[in-house]
Amino acid sequence: MTVNNTIAHQRLILTGDRERFKELLRRRLIECGWRDQVRMLCRDAVKETEGNNVTLDTLVTRVTPRARALVPDTVKKELLQKIKTHLLTQKEH
Amino acid sequence: MNDMNGCIHLNNFKAAKGVNPYKVVHAFFVACTSQEARMYKATACLCFVCSQPGPRLHSCLHCIYFGCYEGHMQEHSKTKKHFLYIDLNHGNVFCAQCQDYIYDQELADIATRNRLKGAKSLGLSAPFMSWVPNANEAAALRRLRKRRMISPNTTIGLRGLQNLGSTCFMNCIVQTLIHTPLLRDYFLGERHKCKPSGAGKCLVCEVSKLFQEFYSGAKTPLTLHRLLHLIWTHARHLAGYEQQDAHEFFIATLDVLHRHCMNGLEDVEKKENGRCNCIIDQIFTGGLQSDVVCTCCSGVSTTIDPFWDISLDVAGPGSLQACLERFTRAEHLGSGAKIKCSNCRAYRESTKQLTLETLPIVASFHLKRFEHSEQIDRKISTFVSFPAELDMTPFMSSHRRAVDTADNNNGPEGVFEDNRYSLFAVVNHLGSLDAGHYTAYVRQMKGSWFKCDDHMITRADLAEVLDSEGYLLFYHKTVLEYECDV
Ligand SMILES: [Zn+2]
Ligand SMILES: [Zn+2]
Ligand SMILES: [Zn+2]
Ligand SMILES: [Zn+2]
Ligand SMILES: [Zn+2]
Ligand SMILES: [Zn+2]
Repeated sequence: MTVNNTIAHQRLILTGDRERFKELLRRRLIECGWRDQVRMLCRDAVKETEGNNVTLDTLVTRVTPRARALVPDTVKKELLQKIKTHLLTQKEH
Repeated sequence: MNDMNGCIHLNNFKAAKGVNPYKVVHAFFVACTSQEARMYKATACLCFVCSQPGPRLHSCLHCIYFGCYEGHMQEHSKTKKHFLYIDLNHGNVFCAQCQDYIYDQELADIATRNRLKGAKSLGLSAPFMSWVPNANEAAALRRLRKRRMISPNTTIGLRGLQNLGSTCFMNCIVQTLIHTPLLRDYFLGERHKCKPSGAGKCLVCEVSKLFQEFYSGAKTPLTLHRLLHLIWTHARHLAGYEQQDAHEFFIATLDVLHRHCMNGLEDVEKKENGRCNCIIDQIFTGGLQSDVVCTCCSGVSTTIDPFWDISLDVAGPGSLQACLERFTRAEHLGSGAKIKCSNCRAYRESTKQLTLETLPIVASFHLKRFEHSEQIDRKISTFVSFPAELDMTPFMSSHRRAVDTADNNNGPEGVFEDNRYSLFAVVNHLGSLDAGHYTAYVRQMKGSWFKCDDHMITRADLAEVLDSEGYLLFYHKTVLEYECDV
């Protein structure tokens, strides 16, 4: 991370806006059914695992690429747009 | 990791040090329950070795050492023999000896409480938590073996209503209420518990029974004799109303239900800042703001009144949004309608503007298609389009204020507020004023529409719904906010 990035990151946490954006993202992912899809992926991954020895790490490595690909473009765009607008309006102060 | 009782390593740790280390780290660096905590998190959440904020930063539960999961956390666990870590993003506990995350009910409860506190400290609505059955409910689920699967093609909840002699104006409102998602959840969850004194006379109990009958799985049309009689006796002005207007019936029904909610054991005197908190008001009540601005001194006098629905003038072809835009436009009150300005201490000309101060969960719109005057009673069949998804933001007081002051940087509030609504019911009046008939379209599930024509229920599609004339339009808030109780 560059110095500027770090400052922006710290500021987002400090103002609580990071939490707000996270909450917005969480909502959108639930609304569009992403969370349910990922839950099904996890279920399948557990079923496929031999010997019942599933750890979070194996789930993460298996499911993450597919889960990432399933995030709808509209959600990415909305978040990006809102974060951009938000950071720009912050700078002017 | 099958049960909620942790692992031996976590249990030993808890026996020695209690839950406080977890509680404190979680409150400061995971959930941030205060502004002070956010300050710490913003500046301190970096790996002690590589100074990066991630990926997957964990804190050692023994010595509050921060390390990234893949490298420096594992390294710390080997050199210091500290085995328990908190994931600083999600708050889960990792045991390096078990090499996996550990479930522990006690810590999970602490995390939930901290998250609620964190949300509250930011003025956010409480995070969504999925339903977990309590002991009673779990027992009931084991006892009652019969399951009813809800599939995309299900027709559960759909039943016709017999017409008891021009009672279609009433049937279409009952269908609308039965298919109001939050009201359905309230009644199917048996949330109305009546006082003994209300027995047999309580209309809310009657509606509760009606919901059970609608969702019993039976398909034969229902007859509403008793309900009709009860509403009739409680809203006498309706009985004498010859027009038998669906809109009047809707408002009268809400009014009677709101009064009868006081029969509920838990609903007694539940008032918050002078406003009734019964289920009807929780779902249907919004706040209408009226700003009267003196043209002389620009002094503003503001009043806010509760509303159950919004009646809109139909002035030529247009859209619902255009009607709302007109409804919330500042209007000059001419010299014939001077209002006493408390500032100028004189009668002055003024402008008046209505905006929505708070939005109800269900937004109900009444298109004024019936014109009653001394000379003539007529119906206006002008086409007014209405959308399936409606954003109410432009009609809100806060938004109008921001636009008027050209204050474009409406900050995070503007970014995060969510005022989207989805259409879920439309009541139509067919035919002429004196020989008319009412039908209703209801959304049973997302994207699944039905037409209710008294005892007849037929499948419909959204295009057909949006093409209909529209007399009463019902929108449900798309995303619900949860209240923080901590
Ligand atoms: Zn590191
Ligand atoms: Zn340590
Ligand atoms: Zn362990
Ligand atoms: Zn009752
Ligand atoms: Zn009430
Ligand atoms: Zn004045």
